[in-house]
Order: sequence, then structure tokens, then C-alpha cells
Amino acid sequence: MAQYPTEPLKCWPKAKELRNKFYENYKQAHEKGGIRCMGSAWALDAVTMGLGRDVYWITGEPYGASCAFDSPLSADFLTAAEKFGFSRDLCSYMRNYWGSIIVGKYAFGGPLPKADFAYTQHICCSHGKWYQNACELEGGDVPLYVIDVGVGACPPFEPEMYKHRVKYVADQMLDSIEWMEKITGRTYNDELFFEACWNDIRLTHTWAKICMLNRAVPAPLDEKSIYSLYVFATLQKSSAAFAELYEELLEEVEDRVKRGIAAVGNEQARVMTDTQPPWGFLKIYRYLETWGVVSIGSLYTFGLEGMWLYDEDRNDLGPRPMPPEKPTSREEACRMLADWHLSKPEYQHFYSPEYKTEMMDAIAKNWRCDAIIMHYNRGCEGLSVGIAENRLGLLERGNKVMTYEGNMGDETEFDLPSTETRFDIFLESLGLKKREA
Amino acid sequence: MLEKFQEWYENRHEYQEKYKERTGNKIVGYFCTYTPEELFYAADILPVRILGSHEPQDVTEPHIFGMFCPFCRDALAQGLKGKYDYLDGITIGQSCLHLRQAFTSWDLHKNPGWSYFLPMPNHVQSKRAVPFLVEEYRLLIKKIEELAGKRIRDDDLRQGIDIMNKVRQAMKEIYEFRKEENPPITGTEAMYMTCAQFFTDAREFLPVAKEVNRELASRRLDRDPGKRIMLIGSENDDIEYINMIETLGERESVGCTVVVEEHCTTTRYFWDEVDTDIDDPVRAIAERYVLRTPCPSKDWPQRTRLQRILKLAKDFRVDGAIIIQQKFCDPHEADIPFIRRFLEDNGIPTYFLEFDVTVASGPFAVRTEAFLETLEAEEDLF
Amino acid sequence: MIIVGIDCGAKNTKTVVLRDNKIIGKGMILTGFDQTSAIRESLHAALKDAGIDVKDVDKISGTGAGMEEIRDADVRVNEVKAMAKAANFFVPSARTVTDVGAEMGRAVKIDENGKVIDFAINEKCAAGAGAFIEAMARALEAKLEEMGPMVLKSDKSIPMNAQCAIFAESEVVGLIHAKTAKADISKAIHDAMASRIVSMIRRIGVNKDIVMIGGVGLNPGFVDSLKRELEIDKVYIPPDPAFGAAVGAALVLAEET
Repeated sequence: MAQYPTEPLKCWPKAKELRNKFYENYKQAHEKGGIRCMGSAWALDAVTMGLGRDVYWITGEPYGASCAFDSPLSADFLTAAEKFGFSRDLCSYMRNYWGSIIVGKYAFGGPLPKADFAYTQHICCSHGKWYQNACELEGGDVPLYVIDVGVGACPPFEPEMYKHRVKYVADQMLDSIEWMEKITGRTYNDELFFEACWNDIRLTHTWAKICMLNRAVPAPLDEKSIYSLYVFATLQKSSAAFAELYEELLEEVEDRVKRGIAAVGNEQARVMTDTQPPWGFLKIYRYLETWGVVSIGSLYTFGLEGMWLYDEDRNDLGPRPMPPEKPTSREEACRMLADWHLSKPEYQHFYSPEYKTEMMDAIAKNWRCDAIIMHYNRGCEGLSVGIAENRLGLLERGNKVMTYEGNMGDETEFDLPSTETRFDIFLESLGLKKREA
Repeated sequence: MLEKFQEWYENRHEYQEKYKERTGNKIVGYFCTYTPEELFYAADILPVRILGSHEPQDVTEPHIFGMFCPFCRDALAQGLKGKYDYLDGITIGQSCLHLRQAFTSWDLHKNPGWSYFLPMPNHVQSKRAVPFLVEEYRLLIKKIEELAGKRIRDDDLRQGIDIMNKVRQAMKEIYEFRKEENPPITGTEAMYMTCAQFFTDAREFLPVAKEVNRELASRRLDRDPGKRIMLIGSENDDIEYINMIETLGERESVGCTVVVEEHCTTTRYFWDEVDTDIDDPVRAIAERYVLRTPCPSKDWPQRTRLQRILKLAKDFRVDGAIIIQQKFCDPHEADIPFIRRFLEDNGIPTYFLEFDVTVASGPFAVRTEAFLETLEAEEDLF
Repeated sequence: MIIVGIDCGAKNTKTVVLRDNKIIGKGMILTGFDQTSAIRESLHAALKDAGIDVKDVDKISGTGAGMEEIRDADVRVNEVKAMAKAANFFVPSARTVTDVGAEMGRAVKIDENGKVIDFAINEKCAAGAGAFIEAMARALEAKLEEMGPMVLKSDKSIPMNAQCAIFAESEVVGLIHAKTAKADISKAIHDAMASRIVSMIRRIGVNKDIVMIGGVGLNPGFVDSLKRELEIDKVYIPPDPAFGAAVGAALVLAEET
């Protein structure tokens, strides 16, 4: 049985420190005279950075995932949300988040710090409602701005990126700048905005390049590690420190590929997944390893924050090239950011599952996957919309597909033993053998 | 003439198939009420809304994951089972994610040759929504022109506006009767009416609605209206349920009449008219859809539905409200705790029910009756 | 060669004895709380039925929810693989096999060699499994074995929502109060459950021939509903369908030996 050399990632300690600091910063923002902002991980946080270098963010999805990771805490939060009257089938990140507000506890210790304003985007039905309700639960005095990005798919799925669609998104950003000046009393600094905008583009571009390297056999990264790394893009895309971390990571992963360093030493087969995992049960990835299976990633980890272009003729994905130059005016920066983000792979399936199927198939083929394991995620309607059609489309394109049901943020909806049984049945049908412990 | 609505509701396919034969017009099925019907009427294409059949089925399981609402499943089943094979096209105005899947799966597996996803803006409270939608309508108009094989001119659009405004007015006039002490039209009948409008050509619906209006002026129902109830919530055309609670009074000590609803099968759909003072008809239509009573999925950052619901509740003098939610309907689930608190704070007792494709009549009857009894008790105090 | 297949299921533990791939003995015991003793007793019953001694057994193969408790098993075979093999053995032309057990429904797409190509397993709710009919029989105050034959006496079609067993039970109560005939209610129950199973089969595709294993295969009412929902004339039921997975497990071992 082939055995590849493995090594821990060198940037791991730095990544860990940056993440801790991010959540600390949010807590201590007011002590430093700074501003606290809450919003979705998909939000265009760069726009808020024109308010100053002391705008500190918290993003709901990774925060919800962190809650889910701590099972007793999450149980408290989910119960509080349910008691308030929220249905159990709503987004589980959102319920954890609301529960955290209702209970008044911060998942990183102490009371939950109150945001000064909320700034988010809306692609799935829950985004706008999430922060509408969060603001209300905070007492009704937290102002909210939502940017609608639901303007249709990008090329090649649509014939062109229509100007009015980019304009609609960009204009909302422009309006939000005036709004932020009004609610914070600060003067907006365009230079800081341009810098943040460029960081965002640089970071999301670099992430795609890192993911490209996982085409190598053996894969230099496994998805469980990818989760810990891609998270920075969901915390704050506009952060210079995070952009630099990704640039270092890119170099490190290039080096791993050159030296044939594997994430999983006994890589026998490669799979890709779909949607967020059940965060409290990441050990399922270790379980896959007992079958010699490495998960090389997913459209989710590659394309939630990474920026790509899909080439229909070659059925392949490649990092979207960066714009030639930094923006020099507010209008240009808004337009550039809108246009850049509208090509986000994880936006496309909101208009048709076919678009996602095509991109997933491109990953399966070009990252040399033997099979696809899809998480029918009861916790996220946004990423599981159309998922059953994705399964059918992927089967039609000759892929081996298995599905399991679960929930990214509510452990009561995940059954570990029965999921492992499913894995066994499926992996055995692929002709793999489990390595006995 | 009132029975005509029920007949249309129950025989929608027969009506639509015959309609095609006798008029030669094309028919486009639409999935969400954010579809601008005016544009289709302008091209002499009949837009019909696709609703479910309230029958259990087993054909949608491979296409829609189980956590999405029963309504989107039921709607898709109609297509997969071939009940709408006569359609010339399908379309949707960007809706909730649930219903979108009925459209996209239908598009993938039963494409009638013409389909269109209209990115109806979600941020309807932004001043940028109308200019954006105007541009989107221009793209849609081109697509409709391809299907119709002819140009759509401003005058055609004005005709489309005129048709739709007239049926909206006609239904609102009929709703006026529901404000009466003993309404001459039941909630069941009203639901047949609003849904029949989805299924028929507005120009054929209108004279019937006018005739009904005349009849209602002298119609007296031999029933105790009981409590005045408002229904609020998700898509709902569960006439069996409405009829069941409206006939409770025949069997039990309490009864009720549904006097108004806030559903996308009723007032959210038709209450708002196109402003004909706006010169550009495309802009006028866009404004109408941006400013209409919103689906909760588009009702942010302000929750404007609250005041609209309260106004309806007061105008129709309701005793209590039943909040109806399609199982798994996320947009409504996000609003419901706040709507309940708001209505209770305003002195309107509420009761919550979760709907599936079929309703369990027995338990729902017991629960509704118990709710009506609490309304009774409150009154006794004074 | 004598091979024993044991299927330790949620409700019953079934054992078969195979001599050169021919069934020579069977035993079935309620699993109850004590899986180990159920396994032992069903093995003894099967050996007795075959008229052989435990010493004559060459190998044991285990499957089912409780297969880890089959201590003497030489191999353990997952249920999906076992049912696929069994279907292929009884009906070589089988391409779809469904197993409706007490608490689990499954559907498997197989190739001409009985190899698993795709599969679906029902999620948590019991509405798509045998226990559902039992629960409904209680609500109807009917004997379980009467439920199926009753279906064949009804020609009514009453829509029932079986997304949830609890919900369905209240619908049944509603029908009883509305004085609906027992046969018609029974048919509604079977149709609703068949509809759940068919939903699952549709996920992997309806490919002929279709084989059903599991104890519910003995219920003529359910088989009738299943055929109607699938819109096909024939569903193959092997003899003693409850023993299907046990036979499959034994065959997998025989093949590997």
C-alpha cells in the first residue's frame, strides 16, 4: 500500500493566533475606541473599512459554526432560539446566533458584545431576515444595512454580466457609505476603502490558487484542514493580515506539492464533498481516512470565497484573473467589487442547479476524484437548494455519488453511526478496503 | 355566479386547455406572484399561476431535498405528472428558495421550450430596486416578444396594466362585503375567487366578478358568522381547512368566518394596483411589484408587513388571527415570532398552525375550535 | 460446505443454513432486548430445522443492525450488500431491490452480478417502514395480519400524508371518527407507506426487475399498493422474504470462501 510522507502545516500556529485575535478584537473594540460590525460571511466587508482601521467584524456563519463546535453551548443557544418561537428547521447558524444574543453569551468567553451596526448581503432568503431579527433581538437600536446581490448568474451561465446588474449592487454600496457616515458620525476615507477592496480581491484570488494546488496526487491538503484555513476568507476578506497569510500558505502548499507531501499518508482514493459539514462531527473525515480516502475539497470550500471562472468548453475551473489595477475612485471600487463578487461560484446555483452541477463535475474531473459525497444539510437551505438535482446531474455525468443527511449546526439532526454505515456501504461498493484499527 | 369560481378552481386544466383551443393564445405558467402578469397580457399570452393539488405524491423525491416546503414539492409534482403539458412556457419572478426549485426542476425535466428566471430584486426597500427592475423587464419583454412573435408596445403594456388593475379593483370591491357584520361571502368562497383569478383570463374573470358583486349586495347567508378570523402566512389555498373551520359552527358550540387573509394567494397578491399616473408603463409596473405588499423574504430591513397586517385586521374587525405556515417555509418562520407578539400587543389573539400538503382535519378542527373558545372567553369578561 | 447467515434485525433475528448454496434450515426469533440470546436461539432453531449440529457448520456470516453482536461471525456483511446479493440469487434479472424491514426501508440499484451501484436508505422517521403499519393497526384496533388482506377489499383511494408517523396516526383517527370503513383506511395506510418507499426507490431510479425482500413482502396489501404506486405489474418476492438479508450474507461469504 502506497504511503506518502506527511508533515504538519507550518503556518498553522500563525493561523490559529490570527483567528483568536480576530474574535478578541471584536470583544475589545470599544476599549480601543473602535466600531463593532456584524454581518454575514458573504458580506462585502471591504466597504465598511473606509470608516477607519478600527472597524472590527464578527461574521455570523463562522460564529455559528464555532458555537456548533461546542455542543453544550450550542444546545443552550438552540433551545433559547426555539423558546423564543423560532422554528427548528431554520438555518442552524442563524439559530445559534440568535440564541447567543438571547442568552447573552459570547462563544469566545464573557457576554456577547453588542454590535454598533449590522452590514450584510442577501443571496439566500435568510440573510436579510437573520440580521433584521438579530438587530431586533439586540433591542431594536442596532441599525442595519443589507445589500441585495440576487441579480442573476454570471457568464458563461448568462450571456453577459449585464451592466445594470453590477450597477444595482454597486449603487447599494454607494448608498451604504452615506448611511454609515450618518449612523457613525465618521467621515468616510476612500483610500482605506480602496486598500480594503484590493485586499479582498487579492485574498479571494489567492485562495483559488491554493485550491488549484490540491489537484496534485497526493493531495497536499485535506478538507478538514481546508476548513480551518478557508475560514479567514469568511471572517474578513478585506483584511491585509489574512491576505498575507494566504500568500504565505500558497508558497507553503506549492512547496508541499513539489516535495510530494501528502495530507493523508495512505491516500488510496479521492473524494469531494458538498455543502458545510456537520461541524460537531469533523471526525467523519478521519473515518474516511481509515478507508484510505482523502477529501480534496468541494465547491463550497473552493468557491464560497475563492473567485473562479468556469470554462464551459474545457469543463474546467481556474482562478479568476485579478483586475489590472487598484481602484482609484469610490464608484470604481464599488463597481469592481460588485463585478468581482457576482462571479462567486457559490452564488450561481441560486438561479439554477445546473450551474453548480457543471462546476462540481469540473472539480470531480480535474481534481481527480473517485467519488462525491454530498451532505444533504438540513441546516442551510441556501447551499442545499437544488442539491437533489446536483446529485442527479452528477450521476448523469458518470460520477459515483453518495449522500448523507445531517445538519451543520444542530447535532440533533446528525446520526454518526448510521452515517459511518453509509460510508462503509458506499466505499466498499467503490472497491475500497477499510484499514482495521 | 359565485359557484363559477369554484368550478374554475376545480377544473383549471380543462379551462386552460380549452382556452388555448378557442383563443389560439399561448399560456405561460408562473410560480411566484412576483411575476409581472401585465407584461404577458401585453403580448396576448395568458399567465397562469401554478399551484399544487393537495394530493400526496411520490415523484418529487429525487428532485427536491426533504427539508424544502410541501408547496414547492406539490407544485413540481403537477409538472412531473404531466398535468401541465399544454403550457407554452414557464417563468418565475425571483421568489423564496423553496419555490425556485419547483421552477428549476421543471425547467430541467419538463421544459416546454420557453422558460425565464426573472431576477426580481430582493431589496425592495432600496431606491435602486425600481431602476434595476425596469432594466430586467426590458430583457424579459424581449424574451416574451420571441415567444409571442410580435413586438410589445407601450399601448399593449397599458392594456396589460388596465386588465390587471381592473381585476384587482373588482376583487377588492368584493372584499368590502367581508367587512359586514354577517358577510354575504365566506372565506371559502373568497379563496375560490382569488385562486380562480390565477387560473383564468382576467378578461373572462372580470364580468363574473362584477356579476358576483351585484349578487352579493342582496345575498344573505343563513349561517351564524361566529368569530371573525384573519388568516396570515405562507402560500395557502387549503380550501378544505377553511371550509372545515367555517362549518365548525354547524357541529360545535363555536363557529367562525374567515373575513380576510394575508397570503400570496389573496391580498399580498392583488391588493396593490399599478399607478397609472406614471408615464412610462414599464416603470409603473416595476414600481407596483417593488412596492406591493411584500413576501417576508423581501421584507427587510423594515418589517413593513406588520402595519399592513394590522390595518387589514382593523378594517375587517377581526377577533383573532390564525397564523398559517407551510412546513419548512423559512421566510415566514423568520417573521412569525414577531408577528405573533405584535398582534398580541395590539389586542389580536393569535394561533399558530403548520400546514402540509394535506391537513389532518380532525386534530386541526379540535385545535381551531379550542382557539375560538378562548376568543369567546375573553369576550365574556366584558 | 455449510454456511450460516444470521440477520440480527431491529425486530426479528433471522438465521438460514445453506448447504452448497441451498437453504436447508431457517429460524426466526424476536430480537427483544437481548440480542445475544436472540442470535443464539435463532441459530439453534435453524440448525434444528436443518437437522444438523453446530459442529457441522463451516462458517458464519452476519448482517443486520445488530451484526456486531454476532460474536462467532467469520465476516460481517453490510445490509445493503447482503440484500443485493440475495436479490441477484433469487431473481438474476433483478436491477432494483427494496427491503422493507421493521424500522428501516432501503432501496438498492444493482447490476447483473448483484453488485451495488447506488442505494437509498430512509431517514429517521418510521413512516416508511414496517413499524408504521403496526402502529396504524393498533389505531385501527385490527390484527396486524388482517391489515394487508383488508386492502384488497377496498376500491377507494383516500389521500393520506405519511411524511410523519404521528401525523398519519391522527389522520387515521380522523378517518375512524368520520366512520370510514376499516378496509378503506387500511388501504390508505398501505398506499401512504408504499408511496414513501416508492419515493425512495425513485431516488435511485425504477429499473426492472424489482425485487422486494423483508417481512413486509408477506403483506399482500402492501405489495398491491407498491405495484400501483410504481405503476408496474410485477414485484418479485422471494420465498420467505424475511430471510432475504440472511441468505444474502451467507452467499457473500460463500463467494469469498
